[in-house]
Amino acid sequence: MTQTLKAWFSDLPKAVRILIFGLGAVIILLIPRFLTSSYIMGIICRILLYITLAGSLNVINGYTGQFSIGHAGFFAVGCYTTAILSSNYAWDFWFTLPIAGILTAIIGLLVALPTFRMTGIYLSIVTLGFSEIIRLIALNWTGLTGGPLGIKGIPAPQFLGMNIRRAGDYYYIFLLFAVLFLLVTNRVLKSRIGRAWISIREDQQAAQSLGVELVKYKAMNFAYGAFWAGLAGAIYAPYINYVDSNTFTLDEGFNILSMAIIGGMGTLGGPVLGSFVVNILNELLRPVSAYRLVVYGLLIVVMMWIRPQGIIGASDSMLADDRTGADLLERLGLKKRRTA
Amino acid sequence: MDYAISILVNGIVQGSIYALMALGYSVIVGITGLVTFTHGEVMMMGAFASFYVFELFGSNILIGAIGSFIVCGILGIIIYKVCYERFLDAPRHIALICTIGASMIIKNMAQIVFGPNQKPMFGIFENQLIKIGPVQLSVLQLVILAIVVILALGLSLFFSKSKYGISMRAVSQDKTAASLMGLNVNANALLGNVIGCGLAGIAGMLISVYYQAFQATMGGPLGMKAFSASVLGGLTDSRFAALGGLFLGLIENFGIAVSSASFRDIFAFIFLILILIFKPQGFSKKGGIKL
Repeated sequence: MTQTLKAWFSDLPKAVRILIFGLGAVIILLIPRFLTSSYIMGIICRILLYITLAGSLNVINGYTGQFSIGHAGFFAVGCYTTAILSSNYAWDFWFTLPIAGILTAIIGLLVALPTFRMTGIYLSIVTLGFSEIIRLIALNWTGLTGGPLGIKGIPAPQFLGMNIRRAGDYYYIFLLFAVLFLLVTNRVLKSRIGRAWISIREDQQAAQSLGVELVKYKAMNFAYGAFWAGLAGAIYAPYINYVDSNTFTLDEGFNILSMAIIGGMGTLGGPVLGSFVVNILNELLRPVSAYRLVVYGLLIVVMMWIRPQGIIGASDSMLADDRTGADLLERLGLKKRRTA
Repeated sequence: MDYAISILVNGIVQGSIYALMALGYSVIVGITGLVTFTHGEVMMMGAFASFYVFELFGSNILIGAIGSFIVCGILGIIIYKVCYERFLDAPRHIALICTIGASMIIKNMAQIVFGPNQKPMFGIFENQLIKIGPVQLSVLQLVILAIVVILALGLSLFFSKSKYGISMRAVSQDKTAASLMGLNVNANALLGNVIGCGLAGIAGMLISVYYQAFQATMGGPLGMKAFSASVLGGLTDSRFAALGGLFLGLIENFGIAVSSASFRDIFAFIFLILILIFKPQGFSKKGGIKL
C-alpha cells in the first residue's frame, strides 16, 4: 500500500509535489499557533519525542534484526546526563545534547559488544538487564542522581535569548529532532552502511561471506540507535523538568517497543505511525490506564499472528512471515496451512 | 568464618532455586527451539498459585508445589498455543516478540487482579536451625535443597529413561528427522513447554517462600536470572544450566555481602556479561543453540 502511495506521489508534477510539501510544512509549523490547549500540545510533543525514540529502536530492531528491548535504559542515560550537567554544573542545554548522545552511544556499545558475536536473543536479554540496572544505579547512586528524590528544576534551554518553557515552544525542538532523525537516518540507510545493516538482517551468513564485517556494522548500528535515544532523553529532561528513576522502568521500554512493533519495523514510516497510534491509544485508555500495557501486549501478539512486520513494516523482508504467503485465513488458523 | 559459611549456605540454597529456574528455561528452549520471555512471569504466577493453594489447603509445601506446577503447566499450554505453535518454522524473532507481548499481558493482568503491592507469604516452617558441624541450616533451606535435588534427579531420569523423555530429546535435536521417525513434534514441544513452565512455577513458589514475600512485578529480574544461568549451558544443556544457577546464587550472595542488598540484580547481569565475553557458547556439547 505504501508502495502504491509512493508511486502515485512521485507521478505527480514537480510543482504539485513542492506545493504539497510546502503546505504540509507550513501547517506543521503553525500547529502551536492554532492548538493552544496545553493538554493537546503535550500529547503532540510526546508523539514527536517517541518518533525519535521508537525510530531509533527501529534502526536496531528493524534494520539489522537484532532485538534490543531495553531502550528505556538509553533514554535514561541521555536524560540523566543532561539533567546532571545542566542543573548541577550549570552547563548550557545545547552543549549537553551532543555529550548525552555520545555518552549513551558509548555505554550502549560497551554493553552490547559481548553479544555481537551471538545472534538475537542474547542482545535482548542483555539490553533488558541493562535497562533495569541503569534504573537501579539511578535509584541508589544518591550523590549523582539524587536517588529516589530525582533531580528537580532542570533549567530551561535558551534559544536566541528566550527561555523555552511552554509545550508550544518545546514542540519546535521535538519537531526539529524528529525531522532531523528521519532525514539523517534516511541518508544513512541509503548509504553503504545502511545496505550492510539490511543485508545482516536478511541473512547474516550470506552478508558475512560477501564481506560485511558483522561485528563492525552491528556495533555501528547499535551505537547509532543508542545515540538518538540518548538525544531524545536529553531533550526530554528539561521538558519534563523533573527526572527520577521511576520514569525509566521496563514498562517504558515495552512502551517504546510496542510502538516500533505495532507501527511497523524495517521502514522509516513504521515507528512514526506507531508513535501516533500508541500515544493516541494511551490517551483514549486513560480512564482504564491500568489496562494500557495489557492492550499493547494483546496488540503485539495479534500483530505477530496476522502481520509480523507491523502495520506499514517492510513486507519484502524477513521481518514478514512469508512461509505461507500473505493469506490471513491461514495465519489465523481458519484454513488449514499447506505443509511443505 | 561463621559469616562466610552462612553466606555460602545462603548462596547454595538461593543458587539451587535459580538452578530450578534455569532447568525449566533450558528445557523450554531446548525442546521448542525458540526462546521465551515469559519465564519470569510464569514464576510470578507460580508464587501466586502457591499462595492461594496454601490459603485453601493449608501450609503444606508439597501441595503448594503440586498446585503451582499444575497452574503453571496450564499457563504453559496457553503460552505454547499463543506464542509457539504457529511459529515453530517461522523466522525466530516472531515467537520472541510474541512471548514479549504475552509476558506484558500476564504481568499487567496480574497487577490488576492481585494488586501491585508486595504481599507476605505464609511461613511454612518454623524458624528452626539445624547444625551440621560448622554449618547452620534452617529447616526451610533444607527442604528447598531437597525439593530441588529431587526434581533435578527426577528430570534427569525422565529424560534418560522414559519413552516421552527420549522422544523429547529427539525432537530437541532435530525436528525434521524426529517427525520423519513418526514422532509428533507438536505434542512433544507442548509437553516440554508444560514441564518447563511447571518447574518455573515451583521455582517461583520456592523463591517466594524463601523471601517470605512476592509481588506481581517480581518476574522481570527472575526471568533474567534464569536466562543468565542457562547461558552457561548454551541455553539448552540442563546440567550446566543448573550449575550456572548455583554459581549465580553464590556470586549474588557474596556480592551482596561486600556491597549492599539493593544491588542484588546487578550481579546476575555481571555474571551474564562475563560468560558472554569468555565462553559465549556455554559448555554444552552441541555448542549451544543456533538462535
